Amino acid sequence: MGRERQEVFYVDGVRTAFGKAGPSGLFWRTRADDMGVKAVREVLRRNPQLPPDRIDDVVMAATAQVGDQGLTLGRDVALLAGLPDTVPGFAVDRMCAGALTAVTAGAGEIAMGAADVVLAGGVEHMGHHPMGADVDFNPRFVSERLVDTSAITMGATAENLHDRFPELTKEDADRYALRSQQKATAAWQNGVMKETVVPMAVFTDDGWQVAERDQFLRPETTLEGLAPLPTPFRLGGRVTAGNSAGLTDGATAAILCSQNAAEEFGLEPKMRLVGYAYAGVEPELMGLGPVPATRRVLEQAGLTLDQVDAFELNEPFAVQVLTWCHELGVAPDDERLNPYGGAIACGHPLAATGVRLMAQLAYRFRQEPARRFGLTALCIGMGMGAALLWERTSHPWSAGAPAGQSPAPPATAQEPEDG
Amino acid sequence: MADTQFKLQRYGELALVTIDNGEDYTKPTVFGRAAFESAQRVIAELEEGDFKAALITGKPFIFGAGADIDEFPKISTRDAAIEGSRAGHDLFGRIRALPYPTVAAINGVCLGGGLELALHCTARTISTAVRHFGFPEVFLGLIPGWGGTQLAPRLVGPETAIKVIVSNPLRQNRMLSGQEAFELGFADRLLEPAEFVDESIAYALELARNGHDRGQSPDMSAMDELIRRARSQVDDAVHGATPAPYRALDLIQGTATWSVEEGYRAEEEALGDLLPGPQTQASIYAFDLVERRAKRGVGIPKVEPRKVRKVGIAGAGLMATQLATLFLRRMEVPIVLRDLDQAIVDKALQEIRGELTGLAARGRMSEQKARFLGSIVSGATTWDGFADADFVLEAIVEVMDVKQKVFAELRQAAPKAILATNTSSLSVAEMGADVGLHFFNPVAMLPLVELIATPDTSDEVLATTYDVAKKLGKRAVVVKDAPAFVVNRVLTRMSTVTLDALEHGNTVEEVDEAILGLGLPMAPSFLLQMVGPRVANHVLETLHEAYPDRFPLSATLANYAAGKDEIVRSGDARRSAEEIRQDALEAIADEVHHLLAEGVVADAKDVDTCLLLGAGWPFFLGGVTKHLDQTGMSERLFGRPLADAAVTAPA
Repeated sequence: MGRERQEVFYVDGVRTAFGKAGPSGLFWRTRADDMGVKAVREVLRRNPQLPPDRIDDVVMAATAQVGDQGLTLGRDVALLAGLPDTVPGFAVDRMCAGALTAVTAGAGEIAMGAADVVLAGGVEHMGHHPMGADVDFNPRFVSERLVDTSAITMGATAENLHDRFPELTKEDADRYALRSQQKATAAWQNGVMKETVVPMAVFTDDGWQVAERDQFLRPETTLEGLAPLPTPFRLGGRVTAGNSAGLTDGATAAILCSQNAAEEFGLEPKMRLVGYAYAGVEPELMGLGPVPATRRVLEQAGLTLDQVDAFELNEPFAVQVLTWCHELGVAPDDERLNPYGGAIACGHPLAATGVRLMAQLAYRFRQEPARRFGLTALCIGMGMGAALLWERTSHPWSAGAPAGQSPAPPATAQEPEDG
Repeated sequence: MADTQFKLQRYGELALVTIDNGEDYTKPTVFGRAAFESAQRVIAELEEGDFKAALITGKPFIFGAGADIDEFPKISTRDAAIEGSRAGHDLFGRIRALPYPTVAAINGVCLGGGLELALHCTARTISTAVRHFGFPEVFLGLIPGWGGTQLAPRLVGPETAIKVIVSNPLRQNRMLSGQEAFELGFADRLLEPAEFVDESIAYALELARNGHDRGQSPDMSAMDELIRRARSQVDDAVHGATPAPYRALDLIQGTATWSVEEGYRAEEEALGDLLPGPQTQASIYAFDLVERRAKRGVGIPKVEPRKVRKVGIAGAGLMATQLATLFLRRMEVPIVLRDLDQAIVDKALQEIRGELTGLAARGRMSEQKARFLGSIVSGATTWDGFADADFVLEAIVEVMDVKQKVFAELRQAAPKAILATNTSSLSVAEMGADVGLHFFNPVAMLPLVELIATPDTSDEVLATTYDVAKKLGKRAVVVKDAPAFVVNRVLTRMSTVTLDALEHGNTVEEVDEAILGLGLPMAPSFLLQMVGPRVANHVLETLHEAYPDRFPLSATLANYAAGKDEIVRSGDARRSAEEIRQDALEAIADEVHHLLAEGVVADAKDVDTCLLLGAGWPFFLGGVTKHLDQTGMSERLFGRPLADAAVTAPA
């Protein structure tokens, strides 16, 4: 007799602070897997009612699956985090959407009834693993012109977006970047970062320190300061270090569960996964990916974008978000979009980023309970996009949240069967 | 090695201090002069800063490995030693006097001065990953001289302090794990390694908020009785031959009545006496020999060793069984034994498998592994299984023509194998072996093997045999193919003196006491039982044949060998213990001199390494040549120290 298909809930998620990749970065002498361990242990520490031996799988994403991100990272991190031998794990890679893919892979297990609790997250230590460093590109890509050579340099794909949408100027991008820094600066003053970022002791050349702040936050940013920055991807280009996300080290982890598990362990789900979609686009226009992905997930859910109350989009490049806004008819300063800033102000550790978006969305849902549906979306290298649609859950054991909006909120916490 | 630095970071109101030498864990952090200077700067900042708590921890895997032992030989005067001790007291005392809680986060190796630094903090966290925690000072002929003898008893009580400062160092320098250290009361929190520093920071912040409850002071009322008991145990171990353990006990005893400041001064006095003294200097010399030089492979050619995928053991007697077990456990390759009698072979296999089962039962090996290893050992009365062996070790009766016959057969039966012998005294070349690999009894315990090179031993054979020894967990010293090699030759020469004393009217007890007074680990009568009188007599006969003047045969030993417990008196010239000791030392010195002159080993350091690792002679004698040189005996007998012989002896 098979188990029933079930709904998937997001319980909680955390991230490390995000550091600069390279020797000046806070995490330069910290191992990537140890960063994953930190995130996993913290998210479990915050949910002590979850028995570790009842975790059914650990899915960790990493783009470079070698060195300190090798050894099928989910299992590696599970063992290093002190989870019992009986808890399995695996690694996934979908570049920037690694953590999103870890979440949807885990969600698939739960939805199938194959699992009730899954840890999902990601790690990227871009200092130890510069993007594409160990990749052996197939020469057919070039000889058969399968992709434009610019497709493998993400900054070049961002320049391509400016070409495709000439109405999106460098000034627009800089303005967007400035707003991201300003919103992030404010976010560090209120509770969101305190709640979603876990400080981590890191060993450095200057001794142990605590990595507790993102190294990319620049509260002093001004338009005048952004304007003259060099455009490294193209002479006379538009993409600068100021209007894009830096190369980043970071890790994230989240808990996903079924309704049964939530009831049995008294977990407090914050969001229900309504649907998700991945989509492909021309690789050299990588940043367009979230556009079809967003359309597809809305179609699945039978919703329009107007009905979605919150957007958490990654910001690898300001122009990337601007194209999404342009195509979907959202103003770049729409209050639903990235209220706590984005990757421009916090960094983008490729495969780790997805859970950051969810953690911030869940935080916003709790702060602003009138919002119901939220979107987390990312563009993905080699021309893809990902979009996950969430619904805020409310339940009787979550203090202060109004009940009745979720399609299937558990009415009461049940007694475990058989005592 | 890079200098150790103290590095200060601020985390809110917490001072975060890291002890780091900029190297990885293979180069432990030690406290030398530069470390002190950097620590002084950091402590001044701690004193002036508006901190609420401080956390002191180390680079990954190392908290602090103690004083820089390489600086010790340079401390040649009492004043310099006192100054070194006082500098530590001043520095660590300032940490102890800080107006806010301090936490030592013991993340890894924590030895000697590292532990003393930790004891000066308000509280300690310790990681479950810690494997090396302790005070090795007494092992090196010293005392913990930066407050260790004073603060440890006050923290964990006198009984534990005696155990950690005195008893453990005398038991092959036994160390504690993090778990043990925590259970003995050295740490306030035992934490998992995964987030050790994070959780230690959280604990320090907790102390900053709530302060630290020291709990009850340990009970000192039984001090005198504990010290009396410990002193008698120390007597049994070193027989008064080295002062350090006694001084350590005095210092611990003092904590019952002294202030910490008075204790500091007493430590300084003790270190002033000990550090420039012969036992300490010899210990540091010995430590360098066994921990560094012996691991470097002195005299081993830089040639790629052959791969050893199967090992044959010729013989299945007691020694062969021990050796087969060692090869099986350490190398995990198929082992084949051969003896003449199937019953002996079966008994050996049964014992080997029994040993494996026992290891599994004691949790030292998994049951699966024990079962597997038991399945790859076999034995027969023929050489059939030897054809594909890469390495064969012979361990049969010590009779030259029997051995010659076996090696002649092995040349045919094991055509591609390196043929090695475990002889204790016979000529390796004469019996037809490629190389000698002489183990010491009990094989599992003693870390030495004598690696005997003949003029025909090739570089590849030597390198491979060294590699095998290393994989067996042994330290090999290369010696020439000379009768009885080094350890047995020196011990046998010493025994000519002790047997002579017995034969001239001294009692067994008198002779034993005289030799134990040197600080040697075993009385001659006990050693003889361990080795076996027959083996001992056989070695004596071999040496007599080669050097009749220095190795006279002994009718008494011949009696013992024949199972007759009867001393054969040859005169009446009873000697005092001191006379026996002096005669023994002179005989040893003379034999070492001959070993060097013959070029059996290249360096007096090789002799010392052999005696330290193969006979368990104490660090504080520096093997033996350091002691002979220190006391002036070498100078008197040979006109120069034995340490210089390497330069002048013929190659």
